Amino acid sequence: MSDEQKFELHVPSKEGAEKIAMDFAATVAKSMAFPADRIEDLKTAVAEACMNAIEHGNKSDAATRVGIRLTVAGDRLQIAVQDRGTGPAQMRNPDLESRIAGEAEARGWGIFLITNLMDEVKFESNEQGNVIKMIIYLDKPQ
Amino acid sequence: MSQSQEVSTRLKGDVSVIDVRGEVTALSGRPIEQAYQGLSAAGAQKILLVFAADCYINSGGIAVLIGILAECKKKAQLVRITGLTPHFQKVFAMVGLTRYAPIDASEDDAAARFRERP
Repeated sequence: MSDEQKFELHVPSKEGAEKIAMDFAATVAKSMAFPADRIEDLKTAVAEACMNAIEHGNKSDAATRVGIRLTVAGDRLQIAVQDRGTGPAQMRNPDLESRIAGEAEARGWGIFLITNLMDEVKFESNEQGNVIKMIIYLDKPQ
Repeated sequence: MSQSQEVSTRLKGDVSVIDVRGEVTALSGRPIEQAYQGLSAAGAQKILLVFAADCYINSGGIAVLIGILAECKKKAQLVRITGLTPHFQKVFAMVGLTRYAPIDASEDDAAARFRERP
């Protein structure tokens, strides 16, 4: 028998819904006894992943839902955020200097924050669209 | 979904202070930009952003702040930040914002750092 626990939430593709997902993930992480600073990392990453799903994946169509699935397995928490899109268009790290110089759009920090705050991040596609899987561990791998 | 935010400005000696409470996002960023534009039009040269401990800042809000820092750089205005939680101090350093707007432990510390560069 599997010792995994799964929790699932679906939110409308409307700005602000990411905060519901963020609080949902934080509640699960607290129950696993993650330290406060890691829960803050998780909240930011989940909010950014959901905002990308809402704005880019589902084109802010409130009738289309973003799926958030949390899987707890031992000291590992995986958060999968599913949308109907095709994934991020570009994965390059944003360059702050060019943005300060006005040579590039100031936005585009979501994926950068997610990859820097989570222990593992995977981008996958399936028959429903795009899914980003983020993993954090109670004992952060060095 | 509702967004709650409160932005106000004040003077602390020769430092122009922008107090920010609540959400700092792309949607709620306009009042911060307006506060900055108002201070800038009044001739502000030293600008201190004071974030309340309850601030929720996302990447859209970071983009708003980058826009303000870009304006400050063009106008040779000095900017410092205080009040951020340890998490958002980490996020701001990660993005590189602290190269353009250093973080201080308190308003008084920020005022002292501003005095070092009159």
